[in-house]
Amino acid sequence: MKDTESLEGWVPEIGDRVTLEEVIERAFDYRGNVTVVRADGARLEGYVFNRNRDVPVPFIQVFDRAGAGPYDILYSDIRTILFTGKDTAAGGSYAAWLRAKEGSKQRSGTTPAPDA
Amino acid sequence: MSVPLSQMWAVASYVVKQRLAGRARYPLVLMLEPLFRCNLACAGCGKIQYPAQILRKDLTVEQCLRAVEECGAPIVSIPGGEPLMYPEIGRLVQELVARKKYVYLCTNALLLREKLDADVFAPSKYLSFSIHMDGLREEHDEAVCRDGVYDEAVEAIRAALRRGFRVTTNTTLFDGANPLRTREFFDTMMDLGVEGMMISPGYSYAKAPDQEHFLRRQRAHELFSRILSSPKRRWKFNQSPLFLQFLMGKRDYECTPWGNPTYNVFGWQRPCYLLQEGYAATFQELIETTKWEHYGRKSGNDKCRDCMVHCGYEPTAVNHTFSSWRGFRDTVAATLTGRF
Repeated sequence: MKDTESLEGWVPEIGDRVTLEEVIERAFDYRGNVTVVRADGARLEGYVFNRNRDVPVPFIQVFDRAGAGPYDILYSDIRTILFTGKDTAAGGSYAAWLRAKEGSKQRSGTTPAPDA
Repeated sequence: MSVPLSQMWAVASYVVKQRLAGRARYPLVLMLEPLFRCNLACAGCGKIQYPAQILRKDLTVEQCLRAVEECGAPIVSIPGGEPLMYPEIGRLVQELVARKKYVYLCTNALLLREKLDADVFAPSKYLSFSIHMDGLREEHDEAVCRDGVYDEAVEAIRAALRRGFRVTTNTTLFDGANPLRTREFFDTMMDLGVEGMMISPGYSYAKAPDQEHFLRRQRAHELFSRILSSPKRRWKFNQSPLFLQFLMGKRDYECTPWGNPTYNVFGWQRPCYLLQEGYAATFQELIETTKWEHYGRKSGNDKCRDCMVHCGYEPTAVNHTFSSWRGFRDTVAATLTGRF
């Protein structure tokens, strides 16, 4: 998976192709809600805002969908993390602004040359 | 340089105290983000892309004041998000001013006239509105992705100045910025009567919507050289002249990532205002457990390679001023001559 691709909708299977540590790093970097699946099957949906892998017992920190927390969850208590929420860094509003601006320039006949 | 003498003295005496105390790492400016909500979605900003429950969160005033105490920096900058959307911004600023902290309230100014009319703030030498202005009308409205923002900000600047507030501007420049238009912009801001201007290249936030216009280092040197090589005497900058020389490529500085530590709804951000590599629960934990050697240009960290942003390099410039006679002399010379 490329770094620039959105992870929205990703359902990683922890195994040979991707490790739990890699999935946690991706979840920490992801700007949307995820679903943390615990070892016992329990699920917590929320935003992973922190992870600390440099301590004897590594953990992540999560605010749940209602904003409650932070909840600390040990790496050892995580089965996987599902990228279930919308990726808020996908740039939709900026793309919309560019389209609107371009449309407005075309309507007024002021579209600049590409190298202007 | 347009920083008031009392503020210069507060910073200078603070730096000297830290050095006499033998502190290797000390903060100069606390970046206090009480919220991430914003009423704009600027192309070059990677600060506000969060799920709704995070955007709804606010720090309490008490959390903010604890962070200010913990950190001890003489200057508190309040960015965000848009700080004028913070429900307790008036009380927060009042408390900070009472503690004699120099406050830079960094705002896009869309709500400023409304807050001034409601007497949310009182003029003080400790309070400056730092208005986000990325250029003249066309450039600024393009940068903030909304028409009309420049005009509103100009009106808000006039209103704040009329009421006796300190007003500065904060400008981020991206690839493609026109040096002549930027110089014209400086003239316009001086005509408006702002106390000083702050300029910086944008940081290439991985989460920013526009990934095409961030300045690489060499391009940044070229751009700032063209803008600043023959500065007008009337231009006033609210930042270290040595930092401006660094932007022009005349000085080679290393980043001081702990110089402007950041506190927000997640805690103390590692390692700096721009990168989010994790959070510490306390300021002490931030300073003691962050692997500082992993950051800065010399570290080889890709994320730091092209960064020349003031939150990392202005503290280096300030430290240079107070750590060597040559740095002090060069600062005084640039301040007196107005040349960089």
